[in-house]
Amino acid sequence: MQSLLSIILLFPALGGLVLLCVPNSQTRLIRILGLTISFITFVLSLLLWVFFDHSTAKFQFVNAVDWLPFLNMHFYIGIDGISLFFILLTTFLVPFCLLVGWDSVQKNVKEYFIAFLFLESFMLAVFCMLDLLLFYVFFESVLLPMFLIIGVWGSRERKIRAAYQFFLYTLIGSLFMLLAILLIYFQTGTTDLQVLFVSEFSLQRQLLLWFAFFASFAVKVPMIPVHIWLPEAHVEAPTSGSVILAGVLLKLGTYGFVRYSIPLFPEASVYFTPLIYTLSIIGVIYASLTTLRQIDLKKIIAYSSVAHMGFVTLGLFSLNIQGIEGALFLMLSHGFVASALFLCIGVLYDRTHTRLVKYYGGLVHVMPLFSVFFLIFTMGNLSLPGTSSFVGEFLILVGVFQTNPFVATFAATGMILGGAYSIWLYNRVVFGNLKPFFIDTFMDVNRREFFIFLPFVFCVLWMGFYPEVFLEPMHTSVANLVQHGQWRG
Amino acid sequence: MNFPHLFENDFYAILPELYLTLSTLVLLLFGVFYSTSKKHQSPSMMQTVAWLGLFCLFCTFCLLQNLPFSSMTFFYATLIMDPLSFFFKTLVLLGSGFSLFISLQYFQAEDFKDFEYTLLLLFSTCSMLLLISASDFISMYLAIEMQSLCLYVLAASKRNSEFSTEAGLKYFLLGAFSSGILLFGCSILYGLTGLTGFQSFSKLFSGVGGSLAMETQSFLSVGVLFIAVGFLFKLTAAPFHFWAPDVYEGAPTSVTAFFSIAPKLAIMAVFLRLFLVGFYDFLFSWQSILIVSSLLSLFIGSFGAVSQTRVKRLLVYSSIGHMGYLLMGVASGTVEGVQSVLLYLCIYSVMTLNIFAIVLSLRDEQTGQNVKYIEDMSMLSKSHPLLAFSLTLTMFSMAGIPPLAGFCSKFYLFFAALSSSLYFLAVFGILSSMLSCFYYLRVIKTMYFDQSKQPFQNVKMDHEKSWVITLTTLFVVFFFLYPNVAFLWTQKV
Repeated sequence: MQSLLSIILLFPALGGLVLLCVPNSQTRLIRILGLTISFITFVLSLLLWVFFDHSTAKFQFVNAVDWLPFLNMHFYIGIDGISLFFILLTTFLVPFCLLVGWDSVQKNVKEYFIAFLFLESFMLAVFCMLDLLLFYVFFESVLLPMFLIIGVWGSRERKIRAAYQFFLYTLIGSLFMLLAILLIYFQTGTTDLQVLFVSEFSLQRQLLLWFAFFASFAVKVPMIPVHIWLPEAHVEAPTSGSVILAGVLLKLGTYGFVRYSIPLFPEASVYFTPLIYTLSIIGVIYASLTTLRQIDLKKIIAYSSVAHMGFVTLGLFSLNIQGIEGALFLMLSHGFVASALFLCIGVLYDRTHTRLVKYYGGLVHVMPLFSVFFLIFTMGNLSLPGTSSFVGEFLILVGVFQTNPFVATFAATGMILGGAYSIWLYNRVVFGNLKPFFIDTFMDVNRREFFIFLPFVFCVLWMGFYPEVFLEPMHTSVANLVQHGQWRG
Repeated sequence: MNFPHLFENDFYAILPELYLTLSTLVLLLFGVFYSTSKKHQSPSMMQTVAWLGLFCLFCTFCLLQNLPFSSMTFFYATLIMDPLSFFFKTLVLLGSGFSLFISLQYFQAEDFKDFEYTLLLLFSTCSMLLLISASDFISMYLAIEMQSLCLYVLAASKRNSEFSTEAGLKYFLLGAFSSGILLFGCSILYGLTGLTGFQSFSKLFSGVGGSLAMETQSFLSVGVLFIAVGFLFKLTAAPFHFWAPDVYEGAPTSVTAFFSIAPKLAIMAVFLRLFLVGFYDFLFSWQSILIVSSLLSLFIGSFGAVSQTRVKRLLVYSSIGHMGYLLMGVASGTVEGVQSVLLYLCIYSVMTLNIFAIVLSLRDEQTGQNVKYIEDMSMLSKSHPLLAFSLTLTMFSMAGIPPLAGFCSKFYLFFAALSSSLYFLAVFGILSSMLSCFYYLRVIKTMYFDQSKQPFQNVKMDHEKSWVITLTTLFVVFFFLYPNVAFLWTQKV
């Protein structure tokens, strides 16, 4: 059982290597093999959930391999309640990414599958790495496959610019994290996370380190001044790229906050809470308003992601159990909802090759099934009670209200604005008269797409109606995290 | 002292160098005889001599690996054999061996008939081996000069090309100038102390705080400054880099490949030895010189490369930038610093080898044109996907993106810089590595996303280059998984 996590981690990458040996011409074999590999990874990761011990905050499935023993650095992996669901989310999304590119990806099929499988391994490694430096390594290495995914399989000419922006923004932030990690290493002599949790830093140094980490995570989250790369990257990425980007990559930043910034620098986290609150509220309100005036379908969803991530950071830095659990839950829920919305847009784009809102209208007349799915996910996006997002946002508001009612009031406007843009978008695309002058062939979702959407609907509703299943494994770990902060502060 | 046994072990210790010199001489005779023999219709001996030269390098390598001494000084302490020189000798032999290996096809394609090319390469390798183990000003200077003379000729080896001759001329003028500066520095130090051996310097200067008169101290600093400047010239570090782009651009590509790997290794070796053994107690006076030079190299390397359109020039500027990183490691003057420099050099040589192997193989069979501009590489991902992929990985690695090999080396350098509190330098290094991403990414962008009217086609790969490219790519990708070996190796040194 100990090595289950390592197997999950290595499986996609090894599968990618196997695919490398399949000749280019056999695209069907490559597709089936790639899908099988990612599916097996998903099943294996479900085993993690089954064998997960809810009653302890310790890291489980711990495994260590020497990397640089004389510097005291090891491949040290393990998961707790916080990272468990992100691993599940990642393995859940990747098969759908591969499925969604089943027909629409025609060039470089093999490379497409390999890139995704490697990306999966890297992302999983980020979530279960318990060594600060290696965390950084994998956090960064996501750049390579993502750069190629956006650049090679992206849709338009602007894609290159988008790929550049994505690459450079992320790199600029995270290089400072590298310096911070080295500084930590010099103080403590280790990068082992579990040792670092119990080591102390002076307040002065905490502030510096916290800010260096923040520079990196804020770009990935994305917080408001450094969010520009996100709409660009989303719009230009292929559908599957957007799914992964919204589903997992945005979670890397928030995961970084909850795993590293908060427990390692508790005093600095308290010190910088006003900054985070301000940026988050600006993020929520500004991104929601920006969404109203976008004309590109993907950009609308991308900006709504910025808004939701603003909620997540609010919840994380409320520094109480409800807030953090809500934030984690919203991260998960956003992983399903936003990914599903991007899949919806991918379906539209595959048929008509446009994403401009004004060309669409009255789709309900010709694509009824699609309209139903789109409705469910839109409702998820505006956090209707009964969907997963509601639980997350509600918990976050509860958490924030305890620490700062004023902030909670502002944050609550985000719910109204979210409703505004979601419903308006849905109205413009699905209701009204059909606009047959621009687009004249319509086809409802096919069987493959139907089965892609179904699990997402299931998850969104399940999480909305019975969140305890997802919240329960988190309780101990989150409580431990909060306890840890109070004990220190 | 027992005279008959005086040099008994000394000749064993330079056995690799002796062997290389002798075999080069034999090759010279062999080449001259056959290439001028009427009986065989004056054959072109290029390929034969090159293969034999490779074989000689291989034998030297084997001899070196089996040397029974791990550390000793010999010839009255003018030469020294220790793990450091062993390490560098291994690298230099591998570097020159592989750079000869990848250019075998180039000679044929360029119709390059002068077999002396190989001999010069072997001679310069031999002098580099001596340079690495030099532990005295005189042996150091002589070795540097012997190496430089070979390199001047190599740079100008394509006599019917204007660029090549111009490169040779420029290289000669500036090389001689820098050697002069170096020599002047040496003579100042000799004049002040009456010593030429590195070890005697370290003995003389140990704990030199206030024991010397101010006047002497400032003179000594001037001497150190001159020596440092001479070395920085040879290393193409920033304020003294002017010759490098022209020379590297003008010289034949195979020569450029050799230039950018082997001599840098050798000079870095003696640089490390001189400054960290001989002048260690003068840390305060040369550390600032190196820091300034490192900053400038990083700056000029990254900004210079951004605006380049030619492949080779881009590589030169990038190598200037990499020199900046290396100097950062030297400037930190600690064990980690040296270790990081060694590691960086290792990985940098492998990456450079990979890039040059690819650049050398990008030759259009029909027009016989080698790739010159970055634009020429557009659509490479379509026409030669594997080459493009390999180059992409190496470029990412050069930029220091994890989890490739380049990241490990850069990370360790920052580690060393921070451990000796060079915070500003580390931050600047980070910023410039970001800048450098721009131009590395540009190459990748050109290969993957740009459309061009005439994609590069009909590239014929030979086995030699494809092997080198494969090996180096695998190294770049998988180094991360088990870097421990390399780290331990450099630590031992």
